[in-house]
Amino acid sequence: MNETSAPDALDWQHVLRRRGFLELDARSRAQALLDPGTMRVLCGPFDRLESPWLAPQGIVPQADDGVVIARGTVDGRPAVIASIEQRFLGGAIGEVSGAKISEALRMAAADSRAGTPTAAVLLLETGGVRLQEANLGLAAVAEICSALLELRPLAPVIGVVAGEVGSFGGVSIAAGLCTRLLVTREARIGLNGPAVIEQEGGVAEFDSSDRTLIWAVDGGEQRHATGLADALVPDDADLLRTAVRDAVAVGPLVKGSHRSERLDVLRTRLASLDPARPPAPHQLRAWWGAAYEPVQAPTRPRAESAQGPASRGRAWLTALTAGVRPWAPIPSVLRAQRDGAVYLAVVPDPDNPFHRARRGEVGLTECLALAEQIRAVVAEDAGETDKRALVAVVDLPSQAYGLIEEMSGLHQAIAACVDAYQAARTAGHPVVALVVGTALSGGFLAHGLQAAQILALDEPGVEIHAMHKPAAARITQRTVAQLDELAQTITPLSYDVRDWAKLGLCDGLLAVENADEPTAKDTAIVGAAIAEAIVRARTGPRDLSRRLDSPGALATRGASRAVRERLARQWIHEQAS
Amino acid sequence: MQTLTYLFPADRPAAQPAHVGVVASGDLEILVEPLAPGAVAGGRAEVRVRTSVDGFDTIWHAVLARFFTRSGLLGRWELNDSGATPGVVLLRLAQAAAVATRTEHEA
Repeated sequence: MNETSAPDALDWQHVLRRRGFLELDARSRAQALLDPGTMRVLCGPFDRLESPWLAPQGIVPQADDGVVIARGTVDGRPAVIASIEQRFLGGAIGEVSGAKISEALRMAAADSRAGTPTAAVLLLETGGVRLQEANLGLAAVAEICSALLELRPLAPVIGVVAGEVGSFGGVSIAAGLCTRLLVTREARIGLNGPAVIEQEGGVAEFDSSDRTLIWAVDGGEQRHATGLADALVPDDADLLRTAVRDAVAVGPLVKGSHRSERLDVLRTRLASLDPARPPAPHQLRAWWGAAYEPVQAPTRPRAESAQGPASRGRAWLTALTAGVRPWAPIPSVLRAQRDGAVYLAVVPDPDNPFHRARRGEVGLTECLALAEQIRAVVAEDAGETDKRALVAVVDLPSQAYGLIEEMSGLHQAIAACVDAYQAARTAGHPVVALVVGTALSGGFLAHGLQAAQILALDEPGVEIHAMHKPAAARITQRTVAQLDELAQTITPLSYDVRDWAKLGLCDGLLAVENADEPTAKDTAIVGAAIAEAIVRARTGPRDLSRRLDSPGALATRGASRAVRERLARQWIHEQAS
Repeated sequence: MQTLTYLFPADRPAAQPAHVGVVASGDLEILVEPLAPGAVAGGRAEVRVRTSVDGFDTIWHAVLARFFTRSGLLGRWELNDSGATPGVVLLRLAQAAAVATRTEHEA
């Protein structure tokens, strides 16, 4: 199913009959894909599950928070559609809109397990995490990814990026996890949008005024031609419905064959790149091709030095595994094992060939290395009952903002990492994240947010957020001072780890004497907390559902809990709303 | 953001809830719900406007008064506005009224 039959360009009768898909709003898009007369909207506008965080910031909310959840059938098969309204806040995902998507996926998984396979279709048009709800948007994206992966083996999850906003930010990781991904020529897919890259890396890195470059890198045609999307469909509601029907009819893919599981492909694709001489987008098409299969790549000498500049990630990984020599699959990823737990950290590598990932950012090769290490642990322990724990030591400035990263599909590389962490967690490995420094945005989504337990140091240098402060201020059109003031009352906006700990995601806030160079006492305290977290992870649920039942969530995530309760109720009642 | 509330004389009941529009730049979202049956006689339409642009109270009142004088449509109205012009507001109001009073036959 690589090409959906496009109408002959000269078939004017077809062109005149064509119903455009791009011009439709979120609800009409869902309606266009479902069998006529079968659509039932869940948690619709009259349920008034609007965002609780916008009005206090002076932003007018929308009654359904900009996501339409619709049940129905696709060619007679049960399906649920989550359609993002791109015109409301650029389709950005907040607490409520995110919870609607993840809970819909979880309900579809529950039905599928109970004998009624229920496919999901995600209509992704979004700038990513809604910065006005920062940390809760980030958490919501992690939960969407986890729920998507829960459903994917049971029923197909079809991603559709039609345009015009396209899919950006953390949501593109979800796009990279889908069973099938359908795009139009008007679609764009990327992790970091062009303007953000220019802001972070300068105009020499990415000129966001260069429309040709943007489309050559992020455009649907390019993503399809480089194997990062499965079908290129014209902007035609009937053809898109046919493509979705075909994709749903194929059913779930065999385990191991999803793009986000094909580390063999990611490995050879990345090895084929010389970051010092990056290919032009059209060359990449020729090198990689539309099939997602391994490519010819030169064997490059790999530096495996575990030496490198001091960083909190390195310091804590070393302290917690004292007596063990850490091993570096690549210089920017450290691994060490002690007491039945495998510790992983991303650390700065000043000689990283990918120049945008030299300060400890999570880039393409970091994602691959992490995913390979996690998959190896899962494979080695496959027959064991007492599986090793995985401890993600988190100290990362962000994901890598760069041109070669976007061209190569950083969203797909992060999806491989997220998939690996989720697979380890569901296989029974206790997965614990320990935040010792900054944990920002897509970097934290890749390395940390799929953990069953999250611990953080109670220390001013620990910062967890969707975007660093100056950038978040610019994008939400505020000054840093205004942002700080708002964060006093809007908890998910805060950069203070003590506020973050109130969101229901934190399983332990640990006071230490020296976060940069942990003392023996620090190491003992944190080591004991990790051991306890491992026990809790081993006995707790293997999905992320307990995050909504934590004491913090009871206080601050009432809106997510309301979505979960209402969606579950309306899911089964045919007459609801 | 500014929140405005109004009551307008109205006598024509809405048949069903209606939802139109999007909270998007230059546009607005409108929700209309029928009032409880007892409220119909000599009733008033309850209107709440949340708008991203402060200071246009007078214009909002004028636009809404004109609409309710013509339509007299009862119900609980909620307008979530993102800087729509009066023309757009009137079009959305008319659209919402059409949906709220649509009969089975027309649908």
